[in-house]
Order: sequence, then structure tokens, then C-alpha cells
Amino acid sequence: MLLTVDKISTTVGQAFSWLILGLTFMMTWEIFSRRFFDAPHAWSFDAQIQLYGIMFMMGGAYTLAKSGHVRGDVLYGFFSPRVQAGLDLILYVVFFVPGTVALVWAGYTYAGESWFIREHSTVMIDGPPVYTFKTFIPIAGALLLMQGVAEMVRCVMCLRDGEWPSRKEDVVEVDVEKLKEMMHVKDEDIAALDKYVLEKEKEKEHGKGPRS
Amino acid sequence: MTFPKLRKELWFGFTIVALLVIPTFYFLPAPWNMASGHLGLLMLALVVVAIMLGFPTAFTLMGMGVFFAWLAYRFQSPEIAVRQTLDLMVQRTYAVMTNDVLISVPLFVFMGYLVERAALIEKLFKSLHLAIGRIPGSLAVATLITCAVFATATGIIGAVVTLMGLLAFPAMIRARYDVKLSAGVITAGGTLGILIPPSVLLILYGATASVSVVQLYAGAFFPGIMLAGLYIGYVIVRAWLNPSLAPQAPLEERTVPMPDWALQLSPGGTGLALPIIVGALASGKSPVPRSTLWRQLAVGLLPLAMVVAPVTILYRVATTVEIVDTGGMQEIGDTTGATSESTLAEPPGEGVQEPPQEGAQAAPAAPAATPAPVVVKPPAPSPEAASESTRRVPAPTWFWVVFAVGVAILAVNYGLFTFTRLQIFKLLLTSFFPLSALILSVLGSIIFGWATPTEAAAMGSAGGLLLALAYGKLTFQVVKESAFLCAKTTAMVCWLFVGSSIFSAAFALLGGQEIIELWVLSLNMSPLQFMLLAQFIIFILGWPLEWTEIIVIFMPIFLPLLGHFNVDPLFFGLLVAVNLQTAFLSPPVAMAAFYLKGVAPPHVTLNQIFSGMMPFMAIQVLMLFLLYMFPGIGLWLPQLLYGN
Repeated sequence: MLLTVDKISTTVGQAFSWLILGLTFMMTWEIFSRRFFDAPHAWSFDAQIQLYGIMFMMGGAYTLAKSGHVRGDVLYGFFSPRVQAGLDLILYVVFFVPGTVALVWAGYTYAGESWFIREHSTVMIDGPPVYTFKTFIPIAGALLLMQGVAEMVRCVMCLRDGEWPSRKEDVVEVDVEKLKEMMHVKDEDIAALDKYVLEKEKEKEHGKGPRS
Repeated sequence: MTFPKLRKELWFGFTIVALLVIPTFYFLPAPWNMASGHLGLLMLALVVVAIMLGFPTAFTLMGMGVFFAWLAYRFQSPEIAVRQTLDLMVQRTYAVMTNDVLISVPLFVFMGYLVERAALIEKLFKSLHLAIGRIPGSLAVATLITCAVFATATGIIGAVVTLMGLLAFPAMIRARYDVKLSAGVITAGGTLGILIPPSVLLILYGATASVSVVQLYAGAFFPGIMLAGLYIGYVIVRAWLNPSLAPQAPLEERTVPMPDWALQLSPGGTGLALPIIVGALASGKSPVPRSTLWRQLAVGLLPLAMVVAPVTILYRVATTVEIVDTGGMQEIGDTTGATSESTLAEPPGEGVQEPPQEGAQAAPAAPAATPAPVVVKPPAPSPEAASESTRRVPAPTWFWVVFAVGVAILAVNYGLFTFTRLQIFKLLLTSFFPLSALILSVLGSIIFGWATPTEAAAMGSAGGLLLALAYGKLTFQVVKESAFLCAKTTAMVCWLFVGSSIFSAAFALLGGQEIIELWVLSLNMSPLQFMLLAQFIIFILGWPLEWTEIIVIFMPIFLPLLGHFNVDPLFFGLLVAVNLQTAFLSPPVAMAAFYLKGVAPPHVTLNQIFSGMMPFMAIQVLMLFLLYMFPGIGLWLPQLLYGN
């Protein structure tokens, strides 16, 4: 069940992450089109904003599923998993649930009003519709809430078992193994370096006498 | 959990929490006569505690903001409080979704991931090392330059530190460098990407403080490069004073692989390249094919073109700006590579510097000071430009200074342009220049106003794709991973922004801001004291918190105060950016150190890494001081470009 929820969040997030490519191409094209063909497009600004907005909103649950949201790591990392899970569970209930529920609810009425009047962007005359764009607020909120519930279940499981249930692997920003491969460095090489470090230490000791 | 078992780190954390909570409760009035403003302060203290407990910051802020906003509205009109809270929340969210500053975040991040995956860091490092092989501590200096360039282009601290930890750290250790120095160089160099634009930190600050990102970029350019210069100066001086810290690398790592044709023309590669090539072409009976010769000649003449082109352009726009020149000069600076020993010594003040510094150095030095005793005859390359000068505004003195420096660099360059150098130059051509060109074109177009930061970011992303393509790394896999990572990072940053904007709205509603303002004003501080206090607080906050959190939570509190003390938000932002660099290097949340530890040999301890970082942290504080004493370092360029 957990993994299904993860999967939904991930799939949605990844699907929407392709928008970045679209955003890049669209804007590059727009710049060329404006500069060299003297043909700017009025809808371009709105389109950029919407692509970006949708991308990050839909990425929220994905990021949560991969525990990619920034946390303060002063104490957290040193707690045992049980303490971590307990704290997380409490804080999910205290902060997360009210926040996201409010977001879904507020987003729902907000988008509803926008649908009702078929709101269009006012940045340009004849701007593109915004009601679809605003619809993404409650959708993103709902996804986030769903993922949050999954995270809470995780916390409970961790409280029971004493260790965090596994997550599905994903690309990570600093994938040490992959970087090692890219640089053609093997673990043995790193281990082999140790002798230099130790030698250097020894030299120092001889040079300055025993260090305190 | 019993007390004696608590680890030292936990004690540290709890001490901070206690230090924060106890005064809060001490200063707060009793609950029965608490005004809503005090609630705001309570909220601030609570949020810091909650963040330290490790819950995702975005949602901590969001939840707390919603709750306290509701409280605040309840004070005013209980009936419609819920409605108002929801409205506030969704409006804030929508504002972040339509924020035209934040839109450049995903684009720059995407560019960064693509550049990182283009895998040119290895080439970059090796060619730079070869280029500056003769100066003291050359490996460390090459590391710093590589870090600076790569961190600037990617902006991903973790990846840069890890990569350099895998690449440069072993090289330095094997060359018997001091472990602490090596660790310090990598961690400090890796964090430069935070300051040197295009950096995400400045975008976030710009979005929070409503300061133009363009001006921030223009302003952060020189401080960033100067900081890199200070690092390099420090390393060189240390290595020079105590060669055992940073001995020369083994000879085999310093020899440049020479192709056959070059050895045929000049055994040992010591002959001056251009005259020999020209001679061989003229005589027509050299063993080397003519096509090779012509090609090498073309490559050899590139440095000349790189000085002449920007100087000519510069001359034409002499009445406006000269940043174009920085691009050209920088590249020249690097082509001179090791020859820079002589040229490098000349910029005063900072001692020896990295090559990219030179262009930058020449530029600010020229207009700022030096009544330019340099008299340069208008030389051959620009006769038509000279004739034009009658119609144009006469070129200002700084132009001639820049020009003289350009000519001097060229002269030195060609004076030492042996075959070995030609080889090194070609190596640099495939590693260093594409990256610097990418950075400079992105920055240049932003700073000159040819494109908005957003558009420049998009061009940067496209450039990243091209770069990956050029290096044969543009696979579906790479693009997919970059896109996914980019989505996650953007979601992280932007949700944090959503949370913090709800939070700061609640804070303002409760009147917490007013209390702080009244309190600060009641202290009767001079602007200097205020600045010191503000920077000190930010510095301290940098120990337990990350820069994103500091920017989005605490900047909204400081910013309204700036007006009272006549502090320019732009200037303040630059100081904050330099200051927050320390956040990466300050234990216990020094991310840079942990990334390095992850790939370092087991006997390198975290303590060694930390103590290696300390001198660099001290340099950052020095830089902060310099920037404060001479605001011109940062403000000169934005003022020149955009007036006041």
C-alpha cells in the first residue's frame, strides 16, 4: 500500500518534471523568435509561469516521497529511528495535516471561483485561462496529503519495528557510487591512499614530537 | 533516553534549543497580559525549535503559519477567521506559483545538473594543473580554480565537493600535501558556487527582499571572484612559506603529453611555437603536413583574437560598460597559464591570484584608482577605431589601462608560448573555456540587460544541453535524471517558499514584526552596530541552520529594519551571501565536510577536515569585513550599469 502511494506520487512528479525541458525549449525559442525574427509571443510569459508553477506544485509529493524536503539536521540525525519516527508522527499531525488540509480546502474554493467566472490571465490582453492552472493547487495539496498519510504510516511502522521501512530508490543529487564510477575511482584506491595519510601523520610526529 | 548516554552532538543541539527557549519565556510577559505581538515572537522561537527537531521545514512553516494566522484573525474578528486564513493561505501559495523571479530556479538547477553530468571536471582539473604547474601549491590552486568554475556552473555544492574529493583529494594526498590543507581547499572551493552568480541563493534573496536579481548578480560578481582570489593567495603564501605542506606533484603528473608533430619541430617542446610553425610553413620542407601546421597556427593565434576582439568591442562601447572585456581578459589570463607567474605578481593587494582574477582585477582597478601613468600609443590593431574616436567620446583612462594590461598579457603570453604551452592551451580550450563561456554568456546577457535572468537561465539550460551534447554525454538517461533531480530540488525550494510566505504573513499579522522593530529602535544603535549585530546573528544562525532556511525565515524579519538604518538592501544581500558561505563550512551542519568525509580515505577524520576549513572560514570573515569597509567592491558594478 505504502509503495503504491509512493509510486503514484513519484509517477506524477516525474511526469511533470519533464515540463522543465519544455520550459527550456519554449523560452529559448521565444528569445530567438523575439530577437531575430522580431516576433514575440504575448502568451509566452503566462505559459512560462504556468509551466513552472505546475512543475513545482506537482513535485511536492514526489519530493516528500523521496524525503527530499530540507530538514534541520542539528539533532535529528543523532536520534534513534524510534525517536525520529515518534517526533515525525507528532509533527505530521500538528503541522502537516492542518496545513495541507487547509491548502486543499482553500485551493478547492479558490479554483472553484476561478472556474465559475472562467478566469483568464490579466497579464496580457486575451491571456490564457488561469482556472486550469489554479486547479492544480487542490490537486497538489491532495497528493501531498496522501503522501503525508503514507509517511505517517511509515512512522508508525518504524515505531513498531525500530527501523525505517525502505523506500524505493531514485536518482539522488549526490550519488557517490555513480560519481566514483564517473571518475574511475575504486574503493581500493581510496583505501590505498590511507598509507600516505598515515605517513604524513608520522612525519609530523617526528617533526614536532608527540602531539597531544 | 538517559542523560549520560546523550552524545556530544545532542548536547550541542539541546543547548541551542535551551538558549533559545529560556530567554523567550523569560522575556515574554505572563500569558494573561500577552499581546498578539508576543505571540508572534513565541511563534518565531517555536519554529526554530521545530526546525531543529528535524521535521521538513516547509511543512513546519506552513502548519505553524496557518495556525497562528488563524489566531491572529481570531483576535480581530472571530466569525470570519477561518475564511480569512484560507484566503491568505491560497493567495500566498498562488503568489509563489506565479512568482516571476523564482521561475529561474528550476532553469538554473537544470543547467547545473546537465553541466555536472557532462563530466568535464576531470579534464578541467588536469589541464588547469598543467597550466599552473610551477607556482607553489599548484595542485591546491588548480583545485580551487576548478571548484570555483565548476561550482559556479553547477551550483550543486554536494556534487562538486564529492567529485573533487574523488579527483583532487587523492591527487593532493599522493603528492604528500597536508591533509588539512587539501580538505580545506576542496570544501571552501566547493562552496564558492553559492556566492558567484548565477547562484540560487541570490535568486531566493531577490525574491524575498524584492531586490532586482540582476543587480544582485552584478554586485556579487566581484566579491565572489575576490573571495576566490583570497583563497588562492592564502594557499600560495602558505605553500611558499612552508613547502612541506604542499610539495610539487610528481613529475609524471606534470608532463604534458606531446604529439609527434610537435616533437619533430621542437624536441622537448621548449621552442617558441609560433615562429617555428611559421618558419616551417615558409620553408615548406618540414616533415609535418601543412594542414597540421595551419591548424596549429590558427589555434596559436586564438589568444590574440581573444584580446583584440573584446578590446575593439570595448572601445566601441567605451562610454558605457566594459564587462565584455572581463570575458576576454579572463580567457587570456588563463591561456597564459603558468606564464602568469610574472603577470600574476603585478596586481597589488591580494598577492598572487587565479587567472580569472586578472580580468576582473584589471577592470575594477582601472576606473577606481590609478590615474593611469600608462601612456599607450593607439596601436595597429584598431586604426579604424582610432579614426572613429574623433566622432565618439574619447576613450576614458580606464580603457587604456585595460588595453595596456591586455597588450602586456599578450606579450608575456607569446614570449613564453612554447609547444608545451600550445598543448596546454589546447587542453584548456576543450575544458575550461566552454564552461567559462557558458557562465559568462549567461551572466553577461543578464548584466547587460539583453535578457532577463529568467531568459538567461533558460539559455543556460539550453547551453547545458549543448555542452552535454558536445561532450557526448547527452543520453536519454542523463536528461531524465537531470529533469527528475531538478523537479525535486525545485519542489523543495519552492514549497519552502510557500511555507515561509504563509509563515511570514502570519508573523506580520500578529505584529511580531512591530515588536522587533520597536525593540531594535529602542536600542539606539548606530547603523554600524546594527550591521554588525545583523551579520553576527546570521553568522550564528548559520551554524545550526541551512542557508535556505535562514533566507526565507529570517530575511523577512531583517529587511524592514534596513530602512531605519539607511542600509541598501542590495548591499545587505551581498553581505548576507558572503556570510552564508560560512554556513556551509561551520560545524556541526557543515555539509561540505560530510560530503568530503564520505569519499575520503578512512584515516582522514572529520576533525581534520573541520580544522582544515577554519582558515578558509576566517578568510570569509575577512572578506565580509573588506566588503563592509569598501562597499565599492560589490556596489561599483551595479551602480555603473544601472545608476542608483
